[in-house]
Amino acid sequence: MITLRGLTKRFGAATAVDDLTVEIGPGQVTGFLGPNGAGKSTTMRMVLGLDRPTAGQALVNGRPYRELRYPLHEVGALLDATGVHPARSGRAHLRAMARSNGIPDRRVDEVLDLVGLDGRAAGKPGRALSLGMGQRLGIAGALLGDPPVLLLDEPVNGLDPDGVRWIRRFTRGLADEGRTVLISSHLMSEMQQTADRVVVLGRGRLVADAPLAELIAARPASPVRVRGPEPAGLAALGARLAAEGATVDPDEGGLTVTGVTAGRVGDLAYELGVRLHELTPVAASLEEAFLELTAGSVEYAAGPTGGETR
Amino acid sequence: MTALPTRTPTRPASRPAPTGGPFTGAVAAEWTKLWSVRSTWWTLLAGVLTMAATAGQLAIYAVNANTDDDPTVNPGVVDVGEVVAGALELTQYVVLALGLFAITSEFATGTIRTTLRCTPSRGRVLAAKAVVVGVVTFLAGLLLGAVGTAVARPVLGEWGRAPLGGTVADVVASAAYLALVAVLALGLAAALRGAVLTLTVLFALLMIVPVSLQEPGITVLTRIADAFPGVAGNHFLAGDTEPYPAVVGLLLLASWAGAALALGRWALRRRDA
Repeated sequence: MITLRGLTKRFGAATAVDDLTVEIGPGQVTGFLGPNGAGKSTTMRMVLGLDRPTAGQALVNGRPYRELRYPLHEVGALLDATGVHPARSGRAHLRAMARSNGIPDRRVDEVLDLVGLDGRAAGKPGRALSLGMGQRLGIAGALLGDPPVLLLDEPVNGLDPDGVRWIRRFTRGLADEGRTVLISSHLMSEMQQTADRVVVLGRGRLVADAPLAELIAARPASPVRVRGPEPAGLAALGARLAAEGATVDPDEGGLTVTGVTAGRVGDLAYELGVRLHELTPVAASLEEAFLELTAGSVEYAAGPTGGETR
Repeated sequence: MTALPTRTPTRPASRPAPTGGPFTGAVAAEWTKLWSVRSTWWTLLAGVLTMAATAGQLAIYAVNANTDDDPTVNPGVVDVGEVVAGALELTQYVVLALGLFAITSEFATGTIRTTLRCTPSRGRVLAAKAVVVGVVTFLAGLLLGAVGTAVARPVLGEWGRAPLGGTVADVVASAAYLALVAVLALGLAAALRGAVLTLTVLFALLMIVPVSLQEPGITVLTRIADAFPGVAGNHFLAGDTEPYPAVVGLLLLASWAGAALALGRWALRRRDA
């Protein structure tokens, strides 16, 4: 359980996080979404006691992080930078972490095994780790104390498709075990695959906090894409659909129809004898919902991206 | 989110209870970190070589001064401990790098965020680092004292003396001096964060400022210089009785180290990592 109450962080005149009040509960994956610069990383750093809030509170299981005696047993975290010394091996890095929280050395081998890092990879110095290995090592560190709360900042960044699939399955498994899992991302499509619930930030403010399904369902009806080789037939189909009250947008080689189901479009085409090559319901994506929500709150509308790390 | 039954996790009970206290853990972590980077070993080797070279050189100077044509500057027979203490003036900068890098390398590489996530109490982190740095530099000081003695004694020949008790006491005093200076470096580095800045401030505190104060030979300024950590340490190492007893020099140096730690803790608590 992560509790944010009126959490605010200002850097000089700039407000990175603005009066954020949210509860992130156990047993589900919560996606923490927002464009770059929305304040996601700053919020996570405040939860972990790294940054001091200007106002408000960030609590983990009801307590501020800085008061935890054995924090690795309560919260595991993967930050944007994995924080491994370039000259220190991954195993020594984990061993130091484990010892700080009274965790036996054998647990280090367990978590290395869990994230699929073999002895050779774990023996490499930090500077020799690939991005993917670094992410796995970071997750191994997060799991050391078998914590009930996990915070992962952009965990799929730089991972290959295998790694991305692995993270998805892994975080799903962690949530199914009853843990609180908070994953930040600026990739909406990724969250659509992973999250049960999303918390959306825009310019440091809470924009949405809702179950994923609800957010998508709140979108207007899904459009249907229709394509075929007979322009005249398609035009007739379009006219008929419009007569039934659907909105029809003709485009190159086809139509985009809103307001009727794909099934109804297929039936009408059959009735009119129009050949179709494609009939696709276009699912309302989180991407679109997200863009609508954060429209107007995007800090760098057309500016550079990737300025998330500080 | 209300307290649903999911609050009771169905995770396997693989989580063993933490053993030892959080402070013991923090010390163990710092110890593990220190010895898992090669630079620690290089620093110690550099310290040994610097000590050997400097002690040898100072011993040669002492012999030369006794055998040249100008009898007015003859130091006579010198204690080996004196030569070792003299060699520390340079060697200390190598050793205090251990204290310095124990925290500046964490800021430079971002590992400080890992450290503070493992041990969120800033005071506990700094105290653990101080224990590890203090113990390691004290032991290194004993080794360096032995190395310096082993090099200087044969070079001094008839112009040197090394009474067992006195020499052991000198070596132990050197080790204590190094440990305190290294902890001073650690505390300052925690407040200043950068290695170069910290080293500059240390140079100023240990050498530049007090030497500038002593230079004009004005009593008031010299007395002020006596309060500086390096000068206090030298009074302690030399076993002086003026301007204050040797033990006061030790206490002054220890106070500087303690004040630096307090400053470092304050800065760590206040600033974002």
